[in-house]
Amino acid sequence: MRKNKRKILIVDDSELNRSLLADMLEEDFEIVEAENGVEAIRILHERELEISLVLLDIVMPQMDGFGVLSMMNRTGWIKTVPVIMISAESGGMYIDRAYDLGAIDYISRPFDERTVKHRVACNFMLGARQKEMSELLTRQIYQKEKDNSLMIEILSHIVEFRNGESGLHVLHVNYITQLVLEQLVSMTDKYKLTPQDIRVISNASALHDIGKITIPSEILNKPGRFTPEEFEIMKKHTLEGAKMLGDIPYRKDEELVKIGYQICRWHHERYDGRGYPDGLVGDEIPIAAQAVSLADVYDALTSKRVYKDAYAPETAVKMILRGECGTFNPLLLDCLRELAPKLEKELHLVSLGNASEEKIQDSVKHILKGSRSDASARSIRLLERERQKFRYLSDLTGEIVFEYTSVPETLLLSERGAQTLGLPMRIDDPQNNAEWHSVFSKDDFNRLLESMRSASAISPVITSMFQLTFGGERKWTKIVAKTMWGDSESPEFEGAIGKIMDVNDETVTMRNLEKKAEVDERTGLYNNDTAKLKIEKLLAEAGGRRFALAMFDIDDFKQANDKYGHLFGNKVLAAVADRIRANIRSTDIAARMGGDEFVIFMEYQDSVLPQTKRIFKRLTEKYCEFDVGISMGVACSEDASDYETLFLMADTAMYSVKRDKKNGFAFYDKSMKGTLKQQN
Amino acid sequence: MTVKEVYSEVGGNYEDVISRLRTDERVARFLAKVASDGSFVLLEKSFSEKNTEEAFRAAHTIKGVCMNLSLTKLYDSSARLTEILRGRTAFGDDLSALFEEVKKDYLHTVECINKLN
Repeated sequence: MRKNKRKILIVDDSELNRSLLADMLEEDFEIVEAENGVEAIRILHERELEISLVLLDIVMPQMDGFGVLSMMNRTGWIKTVPVIMISAESGGMYIDRAYDLGAIDYISRPFDERTVKHRVACNFMLGARQKEMSELLTRQIYQKEKDNSLMIEILSHIVEFRNGESGLHVLHVNYITQLVLEQLVSMTDKYKLTPQDIRVISNASALHDIGKITIPSEILNKPGRFTPEEFEIMKKHTLEGAKMLGDIPYRKDEELVKIGYQICRWHHERYDGRGYPDGLVGDEIPIAAQAVSLADVYDALTSKRVYKDAYAPETAVKMILRGECGTFNPLLLDCLRELAPKLEKELHLVSLGNASEEKIQDSVKHILKGSRSDASARSIRLLERERQKFRYLSDLTGEIVFEYTSVPETLLLSERGAQTLGLPMRIDDPQNNAEWHSVFSKDDFNRLLESMRSASAISPVITSMFQLTFGGERKWTKIVAKTMWGDSESPEFEGAIGKIMDVNDETVTMRNLEKKAEVDERTGLYNNDTAKLKIEKLLAEAGGRRFALAMFDIDDFKQANDKYGHLFGNKVLAAVADRIRANIRSTDIAARMGGDEFVIFMEYQDSVLPQTKRIFKRLTEKYCEFDVGISMGVACSEDASDYETLFLMADTAMYSVKRDKKNGFAFYDKSMKGTLKQQN
Repeated sequence: MTVKEVYSEVGGNYEDVISRLRTDERVARFLAKVASDGSFVLLEKSFSEKNTEEAFRAAHTIKGVCMNLSLTKLYDSSARLTEILRGRTAFGDDLSALFEEVKKDYLHTVECINKLN
C-alpha cells in the first residue's frame, strides 16, 4: 500500500504553505511540489497520468492559478485531473471564476488539517474511481473479445482437424471475408455494413463448417468422389451447423449467433438459386453467407486437399470469374477481381497465432472508439503524452523540431526551435502567415510542402536544403521530415514531423570549395578546365546565337616581371582580370588559361568588331608605369562550332598578331588556314 | 518560551492554530520556517526598488502564512499592506508607514520565535 501511494501536486509560491499541506497529506499521498504555475504545467506535461489531484494556489509569480486552469482546459487535463483551489482569497468572484474554469472544490486559508484531509480524500476518490472504471472497461472489453475469438478458434479447429485440413483454412476464410466485405463497402452502399458488422461476420465465418462435426469421418475424409448418397449426407453439414447454433438455449439474439446461423446454413447457396440446402436466389442469400461462400471457394482452390493440388491464385480467380465454381453475386466478383493481387500477396502472411492478437487489439480499439468512452480518450492522451515527451527531449538537444499538420493547417515548433527562429511556438495557417514567411519564404515553403506531399506512406522521409532567414542572417538549413499518412486504402497526407538543421557554415564552406576548384586563384577568373566545360555547354545550346572566342596574352610580360618583380607581375594579371570583368556581360565567360594567357568567350549580335575594339582599348590602358600591350586573336562560332577548333583558330590569329607587330588584334580568316593546319 | 507563550507575546491566536494544526510540535516546526522564510527579504527588496507588483506578492505570501499560523497581529498589518498594493502600479509615500508597521511586527515575531525552546 505504502509504496503505491497516489501523487498529489501542490502548487503554491510559498514554501511554507507547501510544506504545511505536505505535512498534512504525506501520510496518505506522495507529494509533488511546484512553486509557480509554469512549473506546475511542466510537471503536468511530463507526469499527467501520475498526478491524481492538484492543490492550486491563485496568486503566484510567472503564471497564476487561473493561468494554470486555462492551460489545463486547453490541454484537456482538467477533465481527468481534479483541481482543488487553495487561497486566502475569499472573494466570491474568485471562487466563481475558478469553478467556471473547472476547479472542483475550494479550500480557503487558514488550513484546517481535518478539512484539507477530508476534501482531498473525497475528491481524490472520485477521480481515482473514474480512472479505474475506464481501465476496467478496457480490460473487460479486451478479455471478452479475446474469449470470443478464442472460443471460435477452438471450435473451428476441432472441425478442421477432424476434416483433415490445416487450421489455416479458418484464418484464411476469416481474412478473405473481411477483405471482400471492406472492398464491397468501398464500392457500393447497397449493403449497409458498419465496420462492426464486418468484424462480426468475419469472426462468425470461422463457424461455417461446424456442422461437419456430425458427418461420419469415413465420408468426410474420403479421398475419391462422393456417391450421390454420400453427397446428400455431406450436404447436411449446412443444416446441422445452423441447427447447432439455432439450438443454443440462451443468447439467441447475439449478433454472432445470428450471423453464424446464416453463414452455416447458406454458405453453399448459389446466386442463381442452384445451391443447397434451400435453393435461395440472389440477395435472398444473406450477404454474410455470400461473402463467406466466396472466401471458402477461393481458399479451397488455392489450398492442397486430399483430392486435389493447390491452384495458383491467378488461376483460382480466373476459374471463379468464369463461373466454374458456382455462381456468385456480380458485385462480389468485382470485389474479388480488385482484391486478387492483394490476396495473392498477403494471404500467406496470415498465420496461426499472430492473427488473433492483432485482431483483438483492433476490435478493442473499434469498440472503444464507438462508445467514445473515457478509455479511448485515455489512449489518445497517452499518445499525446508521448508527443510531449518527444518535444521535451528535442528541446533538451536544442534542435529546431517542427510538426506540421495539414488540416487544420498548423505548424508547431519546439520551444528552442521557436527561440532560434524568433517565432512563436504555434504558427497558424503557415501558407499565408507573414511572420512565418519572413523566416521561410512563401515559395520555398510551398516547395517543401510539395516535396512532402509527393512522398508516400511507403517512403515517407524527405530531405531538402533551404535558405531561411533567422538571427539576422540568411542561412542554409537542411530539413529532414517524416511525412504522416492516414491509414485508409489510399492514404492521404496528414502532416509531418521533422527537424531543421543549421548547416550554413558547412554549406558555405562547401560552396566556396566548389567555386575555388573552378576558379583561378590569382585572378578570380575561371580556370582552363572550367572555361572549356562552360564554353562547350554554351556552344552546344547555342541555337542561332553567335559567339566569339578571343584569346590574348600580355606583350612583354616576362620582361615586365624581370624588370619590376613578380609581385608587380601578379598585380598586372589581377588588373587585367578586373578590366576583363568590367567589360564583359555576366553571361560571357572569361578565363585565365595559364601564365599571362587569357580567353574571353562572348556573345555578339551583328558584328563582333565593336566590342572587340572596346575591350582591346580598355585592356591596353596603362597600368602604373607599365604600358600594357596585348596580342589578341579572335575566332567566331560561324567559323567553327566546336571549342577545340575555335581555340586553335583564335590561337592562330593571336600568333599572326604577335608575328606582325604585337599590341593588336586579328580575326581568324581562311587565309590563316595553312598556319592552322601547320600547328595541328 | 513555549509555543503558547510565543503566541501571546506576538499577538497570535494559540487556540485557533492548535485546533487546526493539532500539535505544538507541528506548529513549532512551521513557526521556525516563518523565521527562515525569504518573503520578508523579498518585500524589503521590492520596496527599495519600488516594485509594487513584487511587493504585493511578497506581502500576500506573508499574509497567507500568518493566516495559516494564526499570527493575528502580523496577519493584520500584512493584510492591510496587501490590500493597498493590490492592482497598484505606482509607488507612493502612503506605503512606507504601512511597510514600517509590517517590518516591526515581523521582526518582533521572528525574535520571539527564535526564543522557542
